[in-house]
Amino acid sequence: MNIILLYGTETGNAEMLAEDIMVELEGEHTVECRSLSDFDPGEFDAGRLHMIVCSTYGDGELPASAQPFAEALKASAPSLSGIHFAIFGLGDSEYEETFNFGSKGLAELLAAYGAAQIGERVTHDASGSDMAEDLAFPWAARIVALAEEKIGEIA
Amino acid sequence: MSRAVAIVGSGPSGCYLAQALLKAAPELRVDLIDRLPVPYGLVRYGVAADHQGTKGIVRQFERLFERQGAGFVGNVAVGEDVSLAALREAYDAVVLAAGLSGDRALGIPGEDLEGVHRAGRLTRALYEHPDAEPLPELGPRVVIMGNGNVAIDILRLLAKTPAELAGSDLGAGPSAWLAGSAIEEIDIVGRSPAAEAKFDAVMVKELAKLEGVTIRVIGAGASDDPEATKKIAALEMLDGHATGARRITFRFGLTPVELLGEGGRVGEARFRDSAGATVALCCSAFLTAIGFEAEGLLLREELIGSAADREAGVIEPGLYATGWFRRGPRGTIPDNRADAQLLAARILADLDARGDAPEKPGRSAFPDWRSIVDYDGWKRIDAAETAAAPQDRCRAKIPTRETMLALALHREELPQ
Ligand SMILES: Cc1cc2nc3c(=O)[nH]c(=O)nc-3n(C[C@H](O)[C@H](O)[C@H](O)COP(=O)(O)OP(=O)(O)OC[C@H]3O[C@@H](n4cnc5c(N)ncnc54)[C@H](O)[C@@H]3O)c2cc1C
Ligand SMILES: Cc1cc2nc3c(=O)[nH]c(=O)nc-3n(C[C@H](O)[C@H](O)[C@H](O)COP(=O)(O)O)c2cc1C
Repeated sequence: MNIILLYGTETGNAEMLAEDIMVELEGEHTVECRSLSDFDPGEFDAGRLHMIVCSTYGDGELPASAQPFAEALKASAPSLSGIHFAIFGLGDSEYEETFNFGSKGLAELLAAYGAAQIGERVTHDASGSDMAEDLAFPWAARIVALAEEKIGEIA
Repeated sequence: MSRAVAIVGSGPSGCYLAQALLKAAPELRVDLIDRLPVPYGLVRYGVAADHQGTKGIVRQFERLFERQGAGFVGNVAVGEDVSLAALREAYDAVVLAAGLSGDRALGIPGEDLEGVHRAGRLTRALYEHPDAEPLPELGPRVVIMGNGNVAIDILRLLAKTPAELAGSDLGAGPSAWLAGSAIEEIDIVGRSPAAEAKFDAVMVKELAKLEGVTIRVIGAGASDDPEATKKIAALEMLDGHATGARRITFRFGLTPVELLGEGGRVGEARFRDSAGATVALCCSAFLTAIGFEAEGLLLREELIGSAADREAGVIEPGLYATGWFRRGPRGTIPDNRADAQLLAARILADLDARGDAPEKPGRSAFPDWRSIVDYDGWKRIDAAETAAAPQDRCRAKIPTRETMLALALHREELPQ
C-alpha cells in the first residue's frame, strides 16, 4: 500500500512517533513521512492512505505546525470524498477538558470535507504510563489491514 | 568528511540542535558539553516537578545519544575546565546553548532583605539542582512578584497539598519543606494589567484544580485582544474557587516601589497603582519571578553584542548561539526547537562551504577530560534515581554532585 504519514507537532514527539511508524511499515509498504506544515490540501490522493499523528496545544488547539494546514484546508474547502485517513493523537490528561482535542478537531475537519476515517482514533497520554509506540504500532497494523480492504483495489 | 561540532549546553536548545544536525548529516561528530554531570538543562531543573508530560521530550533526546550518535560530555564547564578558544581550536563549529541562569533583579530598595528570594534560585532548590542553596523559610504570608509562567509554577507548587504532588518527581526534602510550610496567604502581583500578563491561559485554568485554596482575582479588567480575552476569562473563572483555607489573591497593575523590614527581614511590600496611590502588602517572604539574565562563565553580553548576525545565531564564522542564550529569556520549549532547526540548516551550509579544509579532531583533542560523565555515566545516575523513586514519585533525584559523580564514574574495569 502507498502510505503517507503526516505529523503535527510542537516539541517533536509526534514527529518521532511518525518516523517510528514509518520504520515499522516500510518493509511491506511504500511510506513517506512529512510535516503537515509541508503538506498542501491539494495533495490528498485517493490511492493513498493518509496516516496522521498530531498533538494538542494551547487550550485544545492544533500544534503550530498543523495550523497553516488547517487554515489552508478551510480556505480551499476542497471535496475530500474518496480520500482515506486515519489519525493518532498525542496529548496529556493534565489538560482534562481538552484532552487530545487537536487530533479530534483535525479528524472532524477532514470528515467535514468528505474524507473517510479508517479505524478509530487512538490517543496517547503524556502523563500516563504507556509508551506512545506501544499504542501506535498495533494501531498502525490494524489501520493498514482495514485500509487494504477499503482502498486495496485502487492502490 | 566528518566534521566535529561542539554544543555548549545540553538543555532543549542544544539537544534539538544536535537532533536536527544529525538528522540531516548523520556522519557529523556532535558533542553536547554540560557543566553538570546530568543532561537536559531546564527540562530537569526548570520545568515543574508536577508537569511530567512536558518532560516527555527526554525520550527524543535519549534517541539522540542512543541512536543518532551524539556524545554527552558532562561535568565540563566551558570557560573554566576548558576555554572557549580551545574548543574552537578543536571543533569545526562551536554552538553556545548555555541558557540564562541568573535571576533578574527588581531594582528597588529592600531587595537584599532576608526573606526576599528569586525564582531561579528557588526553583533550583525545589528541584534539587546540585548548586542550589538551601530552601528558605517563607513564613505565613508570601508575595509573588511577576506574571509569567514561572510565577504561576511557583504559586501552584506552594499552594498544592501533599496529595496533589503524587506522580511528580519532587524530592523528599522539598516535599517535606512544602508539607511543613505554614503558608496561609499568597498574593501574586503583576506590574501590568491582566491583559498584558505573560502567563498562558492554560496555566491559569490549571489552578482551578487546586484542592486546598480560596482564590480571589482583583481587577482582571477587560480587553479586545483575543489572547488577552482568554486570559481574563480564565482569571474570572478562577475567582471565587474555594476548596480550602489557603488564600490566594491575584492583583494587577501594581508597580513595586520598595520593600520594608524590621531586623533585616522583609515585612511589607509597597507598590504604586495606576492612579498613583500606594498599596502596601504585609509579607513574610517576597518572591520575584521577573525573568532571567546571563550569569556565569561565558561572556554573553560581549559575544551576543558583537554577533555578526544575531537573528541567525551567527556570532562569527564557526561560532554560533541558540536558545535562551541567543534570544534572551523568552520562549518555551517549542520556540527553542524552531530556533535550533533554523540554526542547524545554517551550520550545515557553513560546514559545506569549508570544502576540503582538513577536519578538526573534536573530542580527541582533550585526552585530559578524565572526570567527564559520558552518556553511560548519566544512565547510571538515571537508573539509580528511577530505582529509588518512592511509590508516589516517578524519580528521586540525586541532589549532590559528589553522589552523581560517584555513580557515574564508577567503572568496574577501572578500580580507583
Ligand atoms: C522555572 C522554569 C520553568 C519553565 N517551564 C517551562 C515549561 O513548562 N514549558 C516550556 O515549554 N518551557 C518552560 N520553561 C522555559 C524553558 O525551560 C526554556 O525555554 C529552555 O529550557 C531554554 O533552553 P536552553 O537549552 O536554551 O537553556 P537551558 O535549558 O537553561 O540549558 C542550558 C544548559 O547549559 C548548561 N551550561 C550553562 N553554562 C555552561 C557552561 N559554561 N559550560 C557548559 N555548560 C553550561 C547548563 O547546565 C544547562 O544544562 C521554563 C523555564 C524556567 C526557568
Ligand atoms: C502549553 C501546552 C498546552 C497543552 N495543551 C494540551 C491540551 O489542551 N490537551 C492535550 O491533550 N494535551 C495538551 N498538551 C500536551 C501535548 O499535546 C503533549 O505533551 C504531546 O506529547 C506533545 O507532542 P508534540 O511534541 O508532538 O507536540 C499541552 C502541552 C503544552 C506544553
